[in-house]
Amino acid sequence: MNRWRGAAVAAALAVACAVYAWAFLRAESQQALAILVLVAVAAGAVATRTRVFDKVPPVPERLAQAFALVAVAGLCLALREDDFSLLLVARVLIVVLACLGLHIQLGHAGILNFAGASFFGVGGYTAAVLTRSTGLPHLLVLVAGGAMAVLIGTLIVVPVLRTRGHYAALITIAFALLFRTFLEVNDSLGGPQGLKLREIRIGPWRFNDPVELGPFAGSFYLNYLALLLVLLAIFWIVIQRLERSWIGIDLDAVRLDETAAATFGIEIARWKILAFTLGNFLAGVAGAVSAHMVGFIAPNNYSFGESLVLVSILLLGGVGNPWGVALASAIVVILPEKLQVLQEYRFLLYAGMVVLILIFRPVGLLPRRMRRLASSP
Amino acid sequence: MTLGLLGQYVMNGVMLGMMYALVAVGFTLFFGVLDIIQFSHGDVLAFGAFVALAVWAALVKLGLVSPAIQLVLVVVVSALATAAVGALVARFVVLPLKGAPSLNVLLVTLMMGTVLREAIRLFYPGGSQPQRFPALLPTTGYDLGGFNLRLDNLILLAAGALLIAGTHLFITRTRLGLAIRAVAQDEETARTMGIDFRAVVLFTFGLGSALAAFAGAMDGLYYNEVYFGMGLLLGVIGFAAAIIGGLGNLYGAVIGGFLFAALQTIGAVALPFASAYKDVFAFAVVIALMAVRPTGLIGERASERV
Amino acid sequence: MRSMFAALCTVLGLASSAGAKDTVRIAFVGPLTGGNSAIGLGGRNSADLAVKLRNQDGKAKYQYDLVVLDDECKPDAGVQVATKAGSDRTIVAGVTHYCSVVAMATVDTYHRFGLPVVVWGAVLPDITYANDFKEVHRVNGTMINQNETNAKFVTERGYKRVAVIHDTTDYGKGHDKYFTQFLTKDGGKVLIDLGVTADQQDFTAELTQIKAQNPEVLYFGGLTPIGVRIRAQMDKLGLNAQFDGTSGIVNDDFIKALGPLAEGVLAFREGAPAEKLPHGKKFLEDYGKQGYTNPPEAYGPFAYAAAQLIMDAIEKVGPDRKKIAAELRKTKDVDTIVGKVTFDDHGQNTVPVITKYVVQDGKWVLWEDSEYASGKRKLRGK
Repeated sequence: MNRWRGAAVAAALAVACAVYAWAFLRAESQQALAILVLVAVAAGAVATRTRVFDKVPPVPERLAQAFALVAVAGLCLALREDDFSLLLVARVLIVVLACLGLHIQLGHAGILNFAGASFFGVGGYTAAVLTRSTGLPHLLVLVAGGAMAVLIGTLIVVPVLRTRGHYAALITIAFALLFRTFLEVNDSLGGPQGLKLREIRIGPWRFNDPVELGPFAGSFYLNYLALLLVLLAIFWIVIQRLERSWIGIDLDAVRLDETAAATFGIEIARWKILAFTLGNFLAGVAGAVSAHMVGFIAPNNYSFGESLVLVSILLLGGVGNPWGVALASAIVVILPEKLQVLQEYRFLLYAGMVVLILIFRPVGLLPRRMRRLASSP
Repeated sequence: MTLGLLGQYVMNGVMLGMMYALVAVGFTLFFGVLDIIQFSHGDVLAFGAFVALAVWAALVKLGLVSPAIQLVLVVVVSALATAAVGALVARFVVLPLKGAPSLNVLLVTLMMGTVLREAIRLFYPGGSQPQRFPALLPTTGYDLGGFNLRLDNLILLAAGALLIAGTHLFITRTRLGLAIRAVAQDEETARTMGIDFRAVVLFTFGLGSALAAFAGAMDGLYYNEVYFGMGLLLGVIGFAAAIIGGLGNLYGAVIGGFLFAALQTIGAVALPFASAYKDVFAFAVVIALMAVRPTGLIGERASERV
Repeated sequence: MRSMFAALCTVLGLASSAGAKDTVRIAFVGPLTGGNSAIGLGGRNSADLAVKLRNQDGKAKYQYDLVVLDDECKPDAGVQVATKAGSDRTIVAGVTHYCSVVAMATVDTYHRFGLPVVVWGAVLPDITYANDFKEVHRVNGTMINQNETNAKFVTERGYKRVAVIHDTTDYGKGHDKYFTQFLTKDGGKVLIDLGVTADQQDFTAELTQIKAQNPEVLYFGGLTPIGVRIRAQMDKLGLNAQFDGTSGIVNDDFIKALGPLAEGVLAFREGAPAEKLPHGKKFLEDYGKQGYTNPPEAYGPFAYAAAQLIMDAIEKVGPDRKKIAAELRKTKDVDTIVGKVTFDDHGQNTVPVITKYVVQDGKWVLWEDSEYASGKRKLRGK
């Protein structure tokens, strides 16, 4: 019986979130949005105070993921005519995908990657170059974007492995700055003018055409959303599997105490490389999809500031918890777009919020549950 | 490449090196005292430059037009204000996180830097545009055969060198400097010896920030311009320079600063596209260096508690 | 009960309140922050003026609402706001862009969403000529004519040795291409041609190289932020060439940032200054009455004209994107405050007048009216 109770609560939560998201995206007036924000903050405060979710029996991860997927799909269908809202949802999903990559690097292996946006950019530029000069099928192009990100990552993996803490930080920061400057001065990659991309085409399915299936008509963004949901589902499962496996435990050990882990015979280098590589792959794929969807990329999209935003999302959401990453991504992408007053101040707000979180609630919004190594019902 | 042209490049490199050195010295000071990297140092520098600009504008409004008086007042007020901000950041952001994992402190200071940068952009009138910084130093130049030697550049160089030397003397010859070095070496023992840890930390942050303000004013005087993003690149370069020279080592930081400037100048001269690739080149070399010697050329004077 | 529900809906913004006229939304896009913000704000104010005056006009069929978007003079931000405007179905047309880099990047986006736009300040020819999009129009001229006049002026003054420095965006490269083409035709010589990044800080490397060539004129193809830096650093290095710029530096911020160093700088742009335009005096009067903090600057009148043309089209065919685009394309000899506007088969208007400027005593002065023309003051090296 407990299991059904947990599942029911999870389903209710998923539906509630979807409805809230729909209302938030559709609301036009600033007053309405302000009210909705207050409602969310109040709900969060109440939930934390009463610890209501601790009393709920744990839900199997698969079920939770399924509910989330259905909820997001339902949200997209409800918004099917609204180009702008769908664009926002798509952007959130892309950011979640990229941040999941960074989350593997930080949450599992303790590598703080300040060049996340650069690997995202590698994916984008790879996609641009490949679709402009070759006829490679677009699905392969997406994979190539991820692969290129991995390849570029190997350039700095040696210094990253050999350093720790602030030294490692310097390497990724220097790389982030170097990457953007390189893109800007290099004319063969478009220079500051950037590059334009065509839509994704899988067989006869053209992603920039509006959806028309019999009586059902919707914005062309639904195509990209479908792809993104599939990608997210795949990678989320991969991450979850990773965490539950021996690899995940090894990575955690490496993150928590490298010296102790080494004394237990864990090969630090191998697991760090794995985490770094996998994280960059995700970021690259996300970048490739994003480039196609927007249709345009420029060096400015991939600056150090953007990398900092990705890192902020990780910290805000709670390091080590993919649901936290999703929540924080949604907040960071959607809030400034809807609340116009925040638009100009958004970098100030993100940075300020991270400072406050680090001082007062370092675990983030949705902290990571302690690992239960014994099996649970 | 005539001798005059070479001289010009060298001069440019030396000026840049001096500015990087000043920033690097700040990083090294903070690290020495608290074992942390104050990532907002570059943006504190920008803050100092903008305070200097604001003070100058106020002085002009009040009718004080003598460049000498303006210069002194601008620098002094800016240094004091920036020192205060640095101490505040230490008190409310850095010290509370003393026990936290070092990653958190790194992130918090990085974000504080962003907060400062955005605050300047949003709240200073016209902050998103580059602002003209007045030329308060005499601008006479001596033309030495194709190479233009300007008095204001020489003064800036001399001032920078004096500041660094002064800081070194302060750290090594005064009681307060002794307290700073004691805390840097072993915090617990220093506390049992009666040294007020908090006061030392706040003072060090104030000192480092004042140095940043000087560097910011120098930057403004050299380029005749300040803009809100000027601190970001300077901060990263200063940090890289401090690391190259070995964190905690003051003269190492200075060497690191000039080394980075040398890398940039070599890149600008030797590479085909004038100065476009110089930053790429310099950072690439830094990354490669870190791969070979992870704790810098001179090496960090520290041990790690296991 | 029903009225409460209606009130609730209105508060939540889910229903529009009943009004006499339908509201039509037009977007304005320009650089409202950053180094070119003076021009962006001038354009925004001018478009806003046009909308306000039209709303005061009782004969108008619709109520107009100007949606202001900031492209920050960056192509990525530009594409983002263009996507925002394009995907928002309530926006039916746009008055877009001063920065050519941004305009080049966004033409595809507007085409994808079918949003008709009229460019008000970007001068790169490719924006209208490199594509066949029915949605894109431009009311100001292209950089070809201003560079032709620029080159002729320089050679007529007796200058022969010119160094060129330009930014590496398509905008700067365009200026470089056309100026070099016309200068060589007129008998001048380009000694050295260097590209710099649009946000570069330190130009000592480039300027040192240029100084070694000993040029008489330094031609600058780029925008105000780096124009200011180059002019200031020229002085620091003792490079005494005459500084010659393009429409990118004709604004007050350039002079404000340089102070006395701006004296004697040359620049050229298409279109007559506001006072000399056919309806210029009235425009300036109306503009002054609204009490805007920023002046219209060089391209304000074009933004005003663009907004006018769009609203005229909406009045004729209603708020439908496709119909507005078709109607705009038909524009022929329409009288606006910048003169008669005709869009050719690529949606481009021709602006015959090129104005020559020189900075005199902290102001942009028409060459013909300046003391440099009369001989009282001399340009560098003369």
